[in-house]
Amino acid sequence: MVKKVLNLPAGRFAAILLSVILVLAIFGRILAPYDPLAGTGQPLLGPSAANWLGTDYVGRDVLSRLLYGATLSIFSAVQVALIGLLVGAIPGILSVYLGKAYEWASLRIIDTLISIPFLIFAVAVTALVGNGINQAMMVVGVLVAPLFFRVARAATLNVSSSPYVEAAVLSGATLGWIIRKHVWEKVLPPIAIALANTLGAGLVVVASLTFLGIGVQPPEPTWGGDLASDLKYLPFKPYAPLFPSLLIMATVWGLNLLADAIRDVSGESGRVLAPRTKAVPAPLQPEPAK
Amino acid sequence: MSTIHSTPPSLGPASCRTPGEGANGAAGAAKAAADLRRLQAKRIALGVLKPLGVFVPVLLIATFVTFLLRHISGLSPAHVKLGENATPELVRQIEHEWGLDRPFIVQYLDWFGGILRGDFGESWWNGTSVTEILASRAVISLSVAGLALVIGVVGGFVLGTLAALFPQSFLDRAITAVATFISVLPPFVVGVALIAVFAVTLHWLPAAGYVSIEDGGVGLWLSHILLPAVALSLDTVADVARQMRVGLISAYRENYVTGAIVRGLSGPRIFFVHVLRNGIGPTLTVIGMKFPNLLGGAVVTEAIFGLSGFGQYAADSALRGDVPAVQGALVVSIILVVVFNVAVNIVLNRVTPAAARGV
Repeated sequence: MVKKVLNLPAGRFAAILLSVILVLAIFGRILAPYDPLAGTGQPLLGPSAANWLGTDYVGRDVLSRLLYGATLSIFSAVQVALIGLLVGAIPGILSVYLGKAYEWASLRIIDTLISIPFLIFAVAVTALVGNGINQAMMVVGVLVAPLFFRVARAATLNVSSSPYVEAAVLSGATLGWIIRKHVWEKVLPPIAIALANTLGAGLVVVASLTFLGIGVQPPEPTWGGDLASDLKYLPFKPYAPLFPSLLIMATVWGLNLLADAIRDVSGESGRVLAPRTKAVPAPLQPEPAK
Repeated sequence: MSTIHSTPPSLGPASCRTPGEGANGAAGAAKAAADLRRLQAKRIALGVLKPLGVFVPVLLIATFVTFLLRHISGLSPAHVKLGENATPELVRQIEHEWGLDRPFIVQYLDWFGGILRGDFGESWWNGTSVTEILASRAVISLSVAGLALVIGVVGGFVLGTLAALFPQSFLDRAITAVATFISVLPPFVVGVALIAVFAVTLHWLPAAGYVSIEDGGVGLWLSHILLPAVALSLDTVADVARQMRVGLISAYRENYVTGAIVRGLSGPRIFFVHVLRNGIGPTLTVIGMKFPNLLGGAVVTEAIFGLSGFGQYAADSALRGDVPAVQGALVVSIILVVVFNVAVNIVLNRVTPAAARGV
């Protein structure tokens, strides 16, 4: 699948863009020319040879702050997506197999999570439970879980009612074998798409939270937090928000392109509406011989 | 149920009559009409009850989780009021005054009963009624979210329809490109950009603040909420436009549209009667799913544009540890979302009866 994605021009472009951003996120601290917390010149300077992107309102180097901020912004988005995957996909797959009561209850909980106004909950709950970056990621991770739940459930339903699974059941395959061999292969592409989409959404949400000073407070460098301080000094340097905004947008764009590329090569429609058919999982244990 | 949907109501009783029926015909037609009315009434009732059946559990779970927040956070009014001076005796005394030493289930029922009466309790911060503050703040948030919804729906409908009417044309590609671009823009980036351009550089619109209609008239009110609403709506414009385009294009491919063209019906008539009604369903669903974002996204837009709506109130209260205020704001936002979704579902069932059957 990776090879097929890289064969598409859009997929290749997305992969290169995201690799560059990943390098910035991993090695940002080494690449940064200055200390992100120490003033290096006059406040609110324009771009120059010494400060490539100028300085902020207390004279700190903008480029260094963005590079340091990349680490937190990117990796918290990754953690959000992984938490969402863990909390969403596993119950989603299980909802097909664990019986009616579990199915009903898990579907109602997912309905609830979907109807919740996302950002306001992320902000309020994070601030209440301790206002740290770990709390923020847990909360956002749980809030993005429904996407993974639905995707995993839809794919599992699809697979479990298909003839080749029935054939596997008839030939005496165990539940674990069927999941590894059949379910997983069907579930993987849509989950990869959901993962790419969630990474983008997670990045925006984390940036929104840090913009509000939730999860991470200034002077700690984050893309969202820097954007907020740029906003305060907008009359003096109207183009300042451009740099963190462009980084956020480039990352989200790259992830969207990647998701589209995976969708194209895997033939997924990408629609995550609930499947129309009712859950009728194939019996997983062969009938005992009489 | 499903058979009645496939026959348009107007063709019902009259065309069912066979020529040789004679005197029995009138009575038969009346009976058929009554049957049809009964079935339609049943359908409308189902259209209202079914969404309610989905959303009542949602409301119960969401309020319960919201109530749990105090226990999860471990906050108490004593800490908000006393700060550093908290001694165990004082803490116990204050918690007793607020009734927090009662059993969990009693507290929950008391709180839930209050919500049903529209009473969200008192703020731990300054003892004011949360309901009163929320009511005054909700006006601001709903003004912005409402205008954003209007912009999103109208903008999305127009763009999506234009793209669908001229598929594969330059216009279609341009609209698709714009929709893709603006769906990548985070709302706070759009907000900052709008302020930088329209407020700071061009001085056309105010950068921050809110003026109510009573204080400044519709013009001033609109000028203050226009930028935040636009910032909030772009995502909705993009999604509605894309869904609308897909829905209409696939509806145009249906055989009954070809049939209508062959019968010589006019273009507008085909569009409004045959295509729009059948192609709009998924778009309505998308609008229903977008509303929570509009309401929740208000937290950020309100911070950018200096609006003191209930998103801002929730964020400020959460940072102060004022749990009842946060709970109130969250419950109100959930109720608004649920009510909106029930409304969308009812409209959906009216417009495309097929939606009432499946899914």
